[in-house]
Parts: sequence; C-alpha cells; structure tokens
Amino acid sequence: MEDCISTSALLTTDGVPLKQSLKKAERKNKLRAFLLVFPLLLFIIVTFVMPIGDMLFRSVDDSQINGVFSNTFNEYKKWDKEKDVLPPEEVYKALFEELAYGEKIQIGRALTRMNYSKSGWKSLIKTTSREIKKAVKKDELPNNYKEFLISANDKWADPTFWYAMGQMVNNTTPIYYWNALDRTYDQDQNVVMQDEKRRIYIKTWIKTLKISVYVTIFCLILGFPVAHLLANLPLRYSNLLMIFVLLPFWTSLLVRTTAWIVMLQQNGVINGILVWLGILSDDGRLQLVYNETGTLIAMTQILLPFMILPLYSVMRVIPKSHMRAAQNLGAKPATAFWRVYLPQTIPGMSAGGLLVFVLAIGYFITPELVGGKDGKLIGHWIAYHLKTTLNWGLCAALGAILLGVMLIFYWLYNKIVGIDNIKLG
Amino acid sequence: MSKFTKAFLFASIIFAPFVANAVTVASWGGAYTESQKKAYADTYSDPSSIIFENYNGGLGETRAQVESGNVTWDLVDVLPADAITGCDEGLFEDISDEIASMGVPGPNGESIAEDMENNGLNYHSGWDCCVPQIFWTYVVFYDPDAFPGEKPDSMADFFDVEKFPGKRGIHTWADGIIQKALVADGVEPNAVPTVFANQTGAIDRAFEVMDKIKDHVVFWSAGSQPLELVKSGEVIMAVAYNGRVGAANLAEGENFEYIWEGQVLDQEYLCLTTGAPNRDAAIDFMMHASSPESQAEQAKYITYGPMRASGIPIIEANEPWGPGGVDIMPHMPNTPERLKVSIVNDPQWWSDNGAEISERYSAWMGN
Repeated sequence: MEDCISTSALLTTDGVPLKQSLKKAERKNKLRAFLLVFPLLLFIIVTFVMPIGDMLFRSVDDSQINGVFSNTFNEYKKWDKEKDVLPPEEVYKALFEELAYGEKIQIGRALTRMNYSKSGWKSLIKTTSREIKKAVKKDELPNNYKEFLISANDKWADPTFWYAMGQMVNNTTPIYYWNALDRTYDQDQNVVMQDEKRRIYIKTWIKTLKISVYVTIFCLILGFPVAHLLANLPLRYSNLLMIFVLLPFWTSLLVRTTAWIVMLQQNGVINGILVWLGILSDDGRLQLVYNETGTLIAMTQILLPFMILPLYSVMRVIPKSHMRAAQNLGAKPATAFWRVYLPQTIPGMSAGGLLVFVLAIGYFITPELVGGKDGKLIGHWIAYHLKTTLNWGLCAALGAILLGVMLIFYWLYNKIVGIDNIKLG
Repeated sequence: MSKFTKAFLFASIIFAPFVANAVTVASWGGAYTESQKKAYADTYSDPSSIIFENYNGGLGETRAQVESGNVTWDLVDVLPADAITGCDEGLFEDISDEIASMGVPGPNGESIAEDMENNGLNYHSGWDCCVPQIFWTYVVFYDPDAFPGEKPDSMADFFDVEKFPGKRGIHTWADGIIQKALVADGVEPNAVPTVFANQTGAIDRAFEVMDKIKDHVVFWSAGSQPLELVKSGEVIMAVAYNGRVGAANLAEGENFEYIWEGQVLDQEYLCLTTGAPNRDAAIDFMMHASSPESQAEQAKYITYGPMRASGIPIIEANEPWGPGGVDIMPHMPNTPERLKVSIVNDPQWWSDNGAEISERYSAWMGN
C-alpha cells in the first residue's frame, strides 16, 4: 500500500516528492522571515522584556541581605517570641560573627536595605560594627554576645528592632508591595496598616488615577470641538489652526510648565485679570497653582495635542455626506450627530483617550513643578526612592503596580470598546 | 606660535570633550557647576582634561553604573548623606590613604580632616571616599521693601503669622524646615541635631510648630522658585538656597536680606566612583579641588562657603573678592559668628530617618 502511495505521489522534476520540496521551501521562507524580524525581537527582549522582568524580580527579591546574614537569620527563625522577649544568645553570636568577618561592602549594602524596615538600623549596625572590630582586633571575644552587643548599643535590647528584622529573613518577600500600599508587618509578620502619620501611597494612587481620568475627560471635552473644526475647515484655514496645536506640542515641556506657573500664580496673569475685572477681591485671589488644581490645568493643556491629533486624523476621513444624508432622511442635526457622526469618531476618541491616560498616569515633571503641596503623583515617589533612599525594591513594586493598573485599564477598554476599534488615522 | 601649534591647540579645544582619558565629573549643573569649572578646572594644570556632566543628585545613577560595571563618571558631587551611604555600599572607593598623603595641607600644615574640624565639624569616618567642597545652606530671605516697619530677624518671626502676616515659601521636602521649626520653638540652633537624635517626640514637636504656618505656605520644588515667589510678592519671605539669593543680590541687583539665625548648613563632597576609568587622574583633580585656594576661589563665582576653615581667611584678606569689586563675606554662610547660630545637618541621622520623615512630611503637606 505504502509503496503504491509513494509512487503515486507527485514528484518534482529532480525526483523529490512535491510535498517534501514544498515543505523545504516553506521552511526556508519561514527561516528568512524569522531572521528578518530577529533583530526586532532581540531589541524587544533586551530593551523591554528584560528590564520589566528585572523590575518584577527586584520587587520581591531580598537575597542580598540573606547572603550577608544567613546564619543570623537561620537562628532568628528559631526564636520563640512568645517565650522570650529578646532573641536567644545564638542569634547575637551569629550576628556578631557575621558583622566581624563579613565583607564590608556587602554589609554596607545590607544596611541600606535594613533601614527600610525601620529607621535607625544604619547607625545601629555601624556603631555596633565599630565596637565589634575593636574587640576582634584586641582578640577579646566576649563570653556573652548578648551582653556585649547591648553594651555596644542599647538598641539591641529593644525588641522592635528584632521584630523589624523578621521582614528580611527570607530570600523573597512581598513586603515592598505591602509598603507600596501603606501596609507593613507587625511583630508576628501579620500585615497591618502603616503608622497613620506616614500613610501616603494609597492616597497618592487614588490621586494619580483621579487626575489621569480627569485629564483624559477634559482633553476629550476640549479637544473634540477643536479637532472637528480642524477637520471641517477649508485646508488653508485648518493648516493655520493646526500650527496653533502643533506649536505648543513642539515647545519644551519645561517652558510650558513654567509658563503655567506665571499664568496661574496668585500675582499672575489670570488672578490679575480677575481682580482687575472686579470678579475677585484683592485678598480673595485664587490659589490655582502649587496644588492639585495646578497639576490638572497644566497637564490638560500639555496633553491636549495627544487627543486632538488622533481625533483630527479620524474625523478628516469621515465623509461629510453622511451627516447630510442623515438629515435628508429626517434626522435632526443633534440626532444625526449623535447617531451617525459620533460613532464614527470612536476609534479616534479611543486612541486619544488611551494615549492621554497612559501618559498622564506616569507623569512626573509637570506635577513635580506645579504640584506643590498636594498635586504630586506616584511618579514623584518612584523617583524619590530611586534617587534618595535607594529603595529599589519599593520602586519596583510601585512600578509593577503601575504596570498592573495600566493592564487592567487596557483589559477593561478591550472589553468595553474593543481594541480593534483604535485608529490613529 | 607656529601654525602647527595653533592648529593643534584649536583642535584640542574643539575635540576636548572627546579626549579619551578626560576625567568626568557629575555635578548639579547651573551656576553651581559653572563656579566649579572656573574655580577648579580652569585653575587646574590641565583644564581640558576635566569634563562636567549634569545630574540631578542622589545615588541612583551611580549605583546603576557601578552595578552594571559600565562606569562613566569618575567623580560625583554629592550631599554628605549620600557620601556616607555610597562609601558604605562600595559605590565610592575608599581612598583615605591617598587623601591623607596627597591632600593639599592648609597654611599651618593642617590636613583636610583637621581643617574641617576647625569648623567645629567632626570628620566622619564614612567620608573616606570623598573630599570636601562647599557649605551651602537653607536660609530664610525677604525683600526689605515689603516690610516698611519692623523687619523679621529670627526663626520665631518666620513662624509667627500674627506678627508678620503673609505667605511663606518653603520647600516640598522636609530636611531644612523641620529643623528650623525647633529653633522657632526655642531650641539653640547648634543643639537641634542632638535634640532630634536624642529626644523622643522632637519630630512631633517640630510638626506642631509647622502646623502654625501651614495655611500660610506656598510650597516650592525647584531652586529658582523661591526667588520668583518673593519677587512677585506671592510670599513675603521664603526658605531658599543661599547661593541663589547671593546671585540675585550680586548679579541681578536685588537687595534681599538674609535671616542667618537657624540657617541649615549642609555640605557637598566630591567622591571617587568605584571602577572610575581615570582613577589616578581623578584623584589628582580631587586634591586640587579640595585645596583651600580652590575653595576660596569658588566663592568668587557663587556665594557658597569653603568647607576648609583655612579658605575663609584667604577671602577675608583679599576683599573685595566678588565679581566687579564687591565684598563677598556678607554673603558667606560659614563665618564664625554665623556658624554660632546655624544648624549643621547631621547626615548620619538623616540617612537613618530621612525616608520616614519625608513620607510623614508629604502626608502633612497633603492634609
């Protein structure tokens, strides 16, 4: 049977079965196609997948400190907090040894990490290390390590430092995520709310989302008529108007932000005009900048072109005859607009809305300058921890949450509007 | 000069930034970096071998460079808390031996460490990787024209909105203002760091004092903003970097008054990055930049004070030291009598507590 099939199979001129030959050619093509996109793939892996992977890894990674204090942490886990107020002698001994013989730079990095769990770790470890080094140099190892450490710094008798150590004793930890949501661990590693005076992140998250949504809505309200006008004017007028949209778009972000400060401040242009017109009294000048209002106004103006441009390019190709046809068929202008014109602009609104929202949620420099007391967004805290406290774990957790929020919105958008419905022109 | 040398000189000026073994210094930019270029690089034996790059402070980029092994900055200009952390973490290289053996001594043979102790500062062991540069300060200033009658002259006045009604400009981070608040509450300026370190409740106390002005505050976040705020009348007085106020007075013809009491002195250090590509040349430049003469020279271009105590007498002896024949001492933050009413930032305490306080300060601002 098989012979019969193989002999009856189609052969190419050089005697190879056609199927095989086709497969070979196809494989070649596939390989060629793959090789063509390979640089792009590599580029995406190196510049996109790996950094995000690294960020996600850092947001849970605690291995550095566990490498430095492995014995201490092992002994620590045996401590029965119910029975003893302070950890047993073995913990103190292991800590003494790891501080005495550990690598200085690794300890330095570990103590930056320790300070995130409780303020004061840095100087506690440093003063203790100094005493330990002295003792080791003189070859005077203590008989009782607990007493030695407590005499070196009495904070070693303070159980709160020991409780804080419990946050670090595992190679991976969710603590950075909890911190990013104003939560921390209590002495038994239960998740509890952060001290009320320090709760700042949840509030900032809500503010970031709120301002991003508002900015998107305001951009849509302001951008829609402008885009409509641009799309329907004769070309020579619309080109001129387009320049008014593009000129600020090309202007430096810092210049525009600073211009808004000049406009909005209490002795600035807007307050000046309102007082001159008698709408405001001289003492009743509005606080329009260095707060949330300032952030909202400046961001709306700065992000407006990102809404107008996609809307314009979609509106430009909607035939004018559609509106006329609808009205011919008896629709009132409002109905025709609502049921015929508006649905056709949805791809542009979607593209603009998504662009503005995504840009707004991670905005940094404008809120930083005009935000003042309460107009700063989550980007402020990411930058702060990146630069000042070096708490990259918390940075990564904040970044990962931001990414997650963005994905949720994307998913919601896809459910409601559909991602195929997006169009940039 | 032969044609060839001229051409060579021209080429070396044009291509100076591309010289392979040039020492790269990361600094804060603006007038501050300009003053460093003039005072340190232009007076150096080979000015073209020094390149300045701007950065925005903090250790983030340095750590990224050292961790990735791709170090491009030889030297970084940092705040003292970052100097300590960077040295502890090994981001900066411990060169205490080189500093001791190669540092330019003062006029009486003082080492760099001794010279700093003459300021009443303890030379901290964490600064083994760095050489000192300048004192800068958070100082309160005002436009005297805005006060026809009595003028404010103390921290108590700054925090007293009944005596001096009007808004105050303060910064959106905590370190200067919460220390000034304790001075307004009667603590000796010099004692403020120890009060924070040793008294429980000192932070609460500072926040209570700040509550008094909270409704009368405009918060700023960029160094140029407080000057704009005072000039435009948006606020009646503001906390600012003294170098900015000095520049406005000296170069822009302003007539701002300082309130030196309760000024918060902080320091600047130049640190050697671990794995710096031009390590030896960088160390040589560090020693030049930290000499008393270089530090005094810098005061010509920006009103920050030399950190080496022996820099001050050089300025005093040669007044008018400032540009265009003006006296610079009235603008120096660290004369002996001003040091007496100053708070000297304790970088170790801030690197312990900075994160917690800044979260708390933000919560306070937003409520």
